[in-house]
Amino acid sequence: MLKTLVVVFLRGGADGLTLVPPVGDDDYHRARPRLAVGAREAIALDGAFGLHPKLAPLERLYRDGVLAVVPACGSEDDTRSHFEAQDLIERGGTDVAGGWLGRWLRRGSASSGGALAAVAFGTALPESLRGAPGATVVRTFEGLGLGADAGRLARELARLYEDDPLLAESARDAEDALRRLASLRESDYRPEGGAVYGTDDFALALRRMAQLLKAGVGLEAACLDLPGWDTHFVQDTAMDPLMLRLGSGLAAFCADLGPRLAETGIVVMTEFGRRVYENASLGTDHGRGGVMFILGGGVRGGVHGRWPGLGESALEGPGDVAVAQNYRDVLAPVLSRHAGAFAPEKVFPGYALRPLAI
Amino acid sequence: MTFSATRREFLIGGAAAGAGLLSSAACRPSPLFGVETRAHVEPFEPPRGESIDLVSHVLNRCTFGARPGDRESLLRLGATADAAVNAWIEAQLHPERTGDEAPAQALRRFAHLMEPAGELYEYKPRVLLRDFVCATVLRAVLSRRQLEEVMVELWTDHFNIDISKGDCAWLKVADDHEVIRRHALGRFRDLLRASATSPAMLWYLDGRVNRYARAGDRPNENYARELLELHTVGVHGGYTQRDVMEVARGLTGWSVRPKRGFGKARVEFHSHEHDDGAKVVLGQRLPAGGGEADLDRVLDIVVSHPATARHIAGKLCRRFLADEPGEAAVAAVAETFTRTQGDIRATLRAVFARPEFREDAVRGAKLKRPFHYVVSALRATDAVTDAGPRLVDFLTSMGQAPFQYPTPDGYPTDAASWRGTLVWRWKLASALAANQIHGTRIDVPSLRRRAGGDEGLMAHVLGRRPSVREVRAWTELGGGAAGMGLLLASPAFQRC
Repeated sequence: MLKTLVVVFLRGGADGLTLVPPVGDDDYHRARPRLAVGAREAIALDGAFGLHPKLAPLERLYRDGVLAVVPACGSEDDTRSHFEAQDLIERGGTDVAGGWLGRWLRRGSASSGGALAAVAFGTALPESLRGAPGATVVRTFEGLGLGADAGRLARELARLYEDDPLLAESARDAEDALRRLASLRESDYRPEGGAVYGTDDFALALRRMAQLLKAGVGLEAACLDLPGWDTHFVQDTAMDPLMLRLGSGLAAFCADLGPRLAETGIVVMTEFGRRVYENASLGTDHGRGGVMFILGGGVRGGVHGRWPGLGESALEGPGDVAVAQNYRDVLAPVLSRHAGAFAPEKVFPGYALRPLAI
Repeated sequence: MTFSATRREFLIGGAAAGAGLLSSAACRPSPLFGVETRAHVEPFEPPRGESIDLVSHVLNRCTFGARPGDRESLLRLGATADAAVNAWIEAQLHPERTGDEAPAQALRRFAHLMEPAGELYEYKPRVLLRDFVCATVLRAVLSRRQLEEVMVELWTDHFNIDISKGDCAWLKVADDHEVIRRHALGRFRDLLRASATSPAMLWYLDGRVNRYARAGDRPNENYARELLELHTVGVHGGYTQRDVMEVARGLTGWSVRPKRGFGKARVEFHSHEHDDGAKVVLGQRLPAGGGEADLDRVLDIVVSHPATARHIAGKLCRRFLADEPGEAAVAAVAETFTRTQGDIRATLRAVFARPEFREDAVRGAKLKRPFHYVVSALRATDAVTDAGPRLVDFLTSMGQAPFQYPTPDGYPTDAASWRGTLVWRWKLASALAANQIHGTRIDVPSLRRRAGGDEGLMAHVLGRRPSVREVRAWTELGGGAAGMGLLLASPAFQRC
């Protein structure tokens, strides 16, 4: 049973064909004479697909069977606009109210409604959390406490609330949460499992997330962005460092969680994949199908889903990977492993789910 | 057209830049947004009662919290507290008679929010939402027409529209002034009619796609169901699935012009998409051929149904009397609603005339919802605020971000739904008291002076003289900003 869902959003439209190259597909090498990842360079996954060498830190998780890779994923949005595609995928529909995580927390799960049940690590709340029963942006742990007089204030409040007929119990919960939050000091944190986090923002946010998870404040949904995937120009120079950050960050996070990984579901998604053909400036343009990663508890590792192929007739629109898997069908199995009840019709209204067996 | 759009975008840019300037200058009162800094230096009279007296109770319950000086202004209206309260209520029921310069001035930079629905499409949804929420908080904090603001909040939940659904991103802004604010203290029938034909509501509950174009088309029941279940007769009001379908049939053909093209956001009746057969709604027959007029006949039937009077009366009693109001109170208020044909003003008068409204036991017995709590903290402390994102973040963390409740039932009103928000209330209290919310400032020493010292300041915030325990806690923390944080976080201040 999962307790926490972690959603990593790769903003900008990450190129699935580079993250998880279909090295066994000749059409891939023909379409990407300069950008294709060679079969020998890639880390072999299942023969047809490899993992980009810069994602090597994820190999261990794949071999351990806790990483599922789903190529050719996406939404029905074919505007190829970042804004529209992100909106649709994070809302979970076009004319729906709230985001899919927000609806899941409010209606579709047995949310505890704790003070920090839904957290976005970064500077703004993502659309996916819109409508959550309470959602908080956490930049750092400073400011999560009650300020300079925290200890004395909490003590006095405990006295004022102790026999309040309506609020005594809630006040004890609040005191407990604040005590846990007050103990969170980033400098004191010692990652476990030999985890080594980098010093980039993504790694630091994951480190903070692990710390918060372990603090037991009832974290149920945690969102984190890794931006910068809009690689129209000299794609390698942009993607290489991002993939390093993504791979090493997630590997450190999983190692750090240790046995808690079994209670955590991690989703890595993007708004769309990129054009199959490389452009003249060694980049790729906005496309359709991209890749999703699912990690953590209950996952059936491996490469999943239908691969539509990259032959001329299989491509969509101006030459894009067809969307063979709707992202909702990839998210659904993760949500259904969560301790709360999953009501698909509330989370993804108007969509007939065909969940993947992952 | 292109030119005006460009000009608007330019203006929005200007407003955003202005907002940036404001936040950076937030540390000192600025003539720009410091309308309510109106150099509040005069002393004020704090309450003197051991327990919450009638005046404190009325200010707690019927406003978003007492500001320094509110008490005296109220008491000046009558020879006795009772008479003054009655006069105050009557004045609040006629907001147009009360001058309200402060919010008008503060909202000058949000003039674009008052544009008609179709014009709002010119703006970016994110900008619009930010400004809309900001303006809403500022009105609640600054307006002297407090009862009107409280009723606007109540109807906003009653006719809830989530701004994140489709074109509601633009249209809800117009719904706020064209529907909710225009009729907040008017006639319920007019409010309902405005809501039923509001572009935002037609979007939110799918009325725009409720059509009968050819034989066999099934109506979209979404709005019809909520019209009965939430807006009028109530879930146990005695309607059937059959009634839902018949109401939906009666409303087929009402739609709203799309964002792209001529006449955007215009609401239209398409007779060729209307099911013009005979209908039976709540036992009353609508003959065939009613066309456009079916809408008003349906609304007449549901509004005049006795269950609607009880439903609305129950809601008003829960807001102003108690979470579980007595049957007698609801019945009496419903009777007034029926007798006055849904006159909201008259119905409210009936609520405030109930003996329960003045009973000691109901005072401070309700839990403030987060919006009420945050606004009351700003009002009690005479805060100068830009109502910017750092403040609104607290509302989001408490789970009551304005206009962002996803389902049509609106933010819950019961205490149990909000008890879990104490962490964020306490954090707001300590951050506000310590001036750590960017864009919001309070001056505790000045407040203390004006209230005549520690005891007076405590009484002002609590609505009564502090208890021995509260005084001890205040003293332990050394009063001042820490003490103010304690008062705002205290159990008494969570209530209204």
